[in-house]
Amino acid sequence: MKLMKIEKGNLSKLMEHLKKDNFRVIGVTPDGKRFSEKFDETLNFMQSDTPPTSISFKEHFFLKTEALFYYKNNNGAIDLKEPVIDERKTVVIGARPCDTASLPILSKVFNWDYADDFFNRRVENSIIIGMKCNYQDDYCFCNEVGLSQNSEKGSDIFLIPDGDAFIAKTITDKGNKFIEEFAIFFEEYTGNPPAENKNGHDEKKFDYESVKKWLDNNFEHKFWDEAGETCLSCGQCAFVCPTCHCFDIVDEQCGTCAGVRAKNWDACQFSLFTKHASGHNPRDSREKRYRQRISHKFKYYNDKFSEILCTGCGRCSRGCPVSTDILELLEEIDQIAHSTTN
Amino acid sequence: MNIYKPELVEIMDIIQETPDIKTFKLQFVSKKMREEFSFLAGQFAEYSVFGEGECTFCIASPPTRTEYLECSFKIAGKVTGALNKMNKGDIIGLRGPYGNHFPLEQMEGKNVVFIAGGIGLAPVRCIIWNVLDLRDKFKDVTIVYGARSVSDLVYKRELEEWKKMDGVKTVVTVDPGGETPDWTGEVGFVPSIVEKVAPASENSIAIICGPPIMIKYTFPVLEKLGFTEDNMITTLENRMKCGLGKCGRCNIGNVYVCKDGPVFSYKEMLELPQEY
Amino acid sequence: MDQLRSVCRQAISENKAAFIIGYTEDKHHHLKPFIAHNVEETEKLTFNCNAVNNLAVFIHRFHNPSQGKIGIVLKPCDLKAINALVQENRVKREDLYVIGVNCSGVVKDQNKEFSKENTQIKCRSCASKTPAWFDVVVGESAEFELPEDDMAILMKQIDEMTPEQRLEFWNAEFEKCLKCYACREVCPMCYCEQCIADKTEPRWIESSSTTRANFTWNMIRAFHQAGRCIGCGECDRVCPADIPLSLLNRKMGMVAFKEFGYRHGTDMNAPTLIGTFSTSDHEEFIR
Ligand SMILES: Cc1cc2nc3c(=O)[nH]c(=O)nc-3n(C[C@H](O)[C@H](O)[C@H](O)COP(=O)(O)OP(=O)(O)OC[C@H]3O[C@@H](n4cnc5c(N)ncnc54)[C@H](O)[C@@H]3O)c2cc1C
Ligand code: SF4
Ligand code: SF4
Ligand code: SF4
Ligand code: SF4
Ligand code: SF4
Ligand code: FES
Repeated sequence: MKLMKIEKGNLSKLMEHLKKDNFRVIGVTPDGKRFSEKFDETLNFMQSDTPPTSISFKEHFFLKTEALFYYKNNNGAIDLKEPVIDERKTVVIGARPCDTASLPILSKVFNWDYADDFFNRRVENSIIIGMKCNYQDDYCFCNEVGLSQNSEKGSDIFLIPDGDAFIAKTITDKGNKFIEEFAIFFEEYTGNPPAENKNGHDEKKFDYESVKKWLDNNFEHKFWDEAGETCLSCGQCAFVCPTCHCFDIVDEQCGTCAGVRAKNWDACQFSLFTKHASGHNPRDSREKRYRQRISHKFKYYNDKFSEILCTGCGRCSRGCPVSTDILELLEEIDQIAHSTTN
Repeated sequence: MNIYKPELVEIMDIIQETPDIKTFKLQFVSKKMREEFSFLAGQFAEYSVFGEGECTFCIASPPTRTEYLECSFKIAGKVTGALNKMNKGDIIGLRGPYGNHFPLEQMEGKNVVFIAGGIGLAPVRCIIWNVLDLRDKFKDVTIVYGARSVSDLVYKRELEEWKKMDGVKTVVTVDPGGETPDWTGEVGFVPSIVEKVAPASENSIAIICGPPIMIKYTFPVLEKLGFTEDNMITTLENRMKCGLGKCGRCNIGNVYVCKDGPVFSYKEMLELPQEY
Repeated sequence: MDQLRSVCRQAISENKAAFIIGYTEDKHHHLKPFIAHNVEETEKLTFNCNAVNNLAVFIHRFHNPSQGKIGIVLKPCDLKAINALVQENRVKREDLYVIGVNCSGVVKDQNKEFSKENTQIKCRSCASKTPAWFDVVVGESAEFELPEDDMAILMKQIDEMTPEQRLEFWNAEFEKCLKCYACREVCPMCYCEQCIADKTEPRWIESSSTTRANFTWNMIRAFHQAGRCIGCGECDRVCPADIPLSLLNRKMGMVAFKEFGYRHGTDMNAPTLIGTFSTSDHEEFIR
């Protein structure tokens, strides 16, 4: 780990420089909603006390539509062609801990025995410049899922606001090399080392361990009937979420004998998601689907990969059409868990 | 490597098993794949019709026979409908093999009982031939197979072949009402025929595949005959897309059917949450 | 809102309704949809200027006439959806127990106080503030100041564009679409058992989220809402990509009014626009 300093003005210049240098630079759009190459060049989003974007940055690593290969049918002879992936080096700037942490979490499933090179190559090709967060609202719960406003998980370089500048902490070799390569934009940092990685608030909104234990034993429980009752079965929660990774695989024709096989975002809340060709559907109700959502995130994924499939960013709740609040439900589970054990 | 890109296979032959079930004999276009491809009984693959999509079938031929790879499918929707329209010589895609396999080693030295219904005979046929091709390693073989009607029976010529084999007891049945005037086999649902055939449970292992309702009623029959929960093996089907443990739709609790399955013992099945 | 609760309590205890689709307050002091199944649960019902959801959408999800009547809390504007659904034979008037509320406007952003700026645009087009019909009505409506109609301003800008500019505008908007289908799921008028977007044989709308496929999806939804959208603005509200969806539907509605003098959802006994054959139709193909 190395500490450097970068003035806000220099950060803008660095981003301009990178663009000219054929980097793909991704920051937050002027409306603060989303990460995009068309980001706010004034870097107004580099404030740590505003809400996180409403859509996570995962769309730049796990694309909403990814071409897997192109096919062509020449009178019966099939020709498959690999897609061309944008191989430009990518720099993501201004992502909060609740975004950056999703990459190592997702990396587990995308590398479970079979390596998804689409995801891997994009991550390998990127420098993630994370930023300390000073925002906190009633939907956030990064602390409860083992992260914090200072989590460096997933960042290559971590920025900590320091007046009109940022302290730049290098987290990975990749981050180190990047700072070395663009050293002219940085200065030595001579101040005191920033405060240790400490949780933003000590009082936990719920206790993950007891939620997990409850989930282990309560696949059948009336809680589920209420939790998913008004859910509309849309994909909002999964599609804004930094950690949801379900997908569909489809062929899209371009003309009569050529086309693309694509991997598209999908979500467990959609009623067709698990429907068999026979018509049988193991998750045929909103309640069952909502149980899958919570259980996958807070139990199954942890059982399999020792990671919680949630960074506590609160996006799914802020955007839910019927105001389903995942934190509130987890708190409720925690309460049920406590009331039954005591 | 692109894990989503299939290998090309040519349809070498097509067998119309029933009005809505066909068997394809497939061969890899690439010589390298023909030599290198290997799998175990019980594994499945993703088959693609370019322009229509992919679907999941078990590999229905045994690993002991490498000239062709076979799959049998029932017309169910988009991709199976498109496959149905394909001809000899056409090229389709194949990714795999995926998933776990039948416990062949655990079966060695034992009596094996195969019970199948409808197109559920496809995965069972794979392991039946696997066992028969290594005949010496196993003791008595019992096969109970049933379908809705005589015309719904698959692999008819092989059923005849098995009937004639020594040390293989083959019983074929059709649901009541499904028989033809010249039908000489059994009439009755698979569970009751199993009860009638009453294979010995001593040093035995049973493999059961078929419609959920058949599986459900066959387990208690076998249990009564003395089969233990870990000596009854079945396969589960869930909607699949990737086959790679990534697309997120085939899980039953924290078990991914495409990676941890599709083969499960009854014991493992009982431990799963009721969501399949 | 004691009055609301007591009305709902009575509705259930006197068997006027099997359950009540209403609003409850969550810990953020936001209102969200809530189903009261019994008398005790009616205590959780409430209503105020945060009642943004159009609850008519739940009719499709809980409709089971054998259970008894559906009790439903409806704002005057939401009632239009019910009218429209009765017109389209989706629900029968007599299967509903309508608890109308007199409304004084609802907010755009539940995190902020109600104010002129923080009022839903749809409140502008709300003529009544009191429900046109009901089984029982509660609450008082008060006068409130109306916000600027920024959608109308935007519509005017789009009207003035050249077709190429307009295409560019919508392409840029639709490119943002995630295909989450929240717009469809939240819409009281999107109730098809199988949406054309989910049909695979043949596939009418590509399921990928490319600009082209997004364009098809959003345009087809707009066409299917032509002369049917009742202007509740729910699709706009929920779109995570902030696409001004109701703009399209509103425009279609305006065209329907201009050409046929028809507004959907204003009269539950009126025949629907699409379902009406008229010899005075000015298109030849239909005559
Ligand atoms: C491990 C395993 C082994 C199998 N082995 C065999 C076998 O050996 N032989 C065999 O015949 N079958 C087998 N199956 C079943 C087989 O995979 C399905 O029947 C097949 O995939 C159907 O594909 P399709 O494209 O024809 O149907 P689809 O068109 O995909 O599906 C038809 C139905 O699915 C629904 N549907 C359509 N689109 C979607 C969507 N996007 N999302 C959700 N639902 C949708 C529709 O309602 C439609 O009715 C196996 C399945 C598994 C999991
Ligand atoms: S966003 Fe809300 S309504 Fe939509 S699926 Fe998720 S929980 Fe259900
Ligand atoms: S589940 Fe919700 S809170 Fe958790 S990471 Fe996803 S969007 Fe954020
Ligand atoms: S919560 Fe649902 S959509 Fe998200 S990753 Fe899990 S199964 Fe997929
Ligand atoms: S299209 Fe939008 S505004 Fe119109 S009825 Fe549906 S949700 Fe409401
Ligand atoms: S709500 Fe918005 S993002 Fe979602 S499908 Fe509709 S238009 Fe697209
Ligand atoms: S089929 Fe995709 S995870 Fe199992």
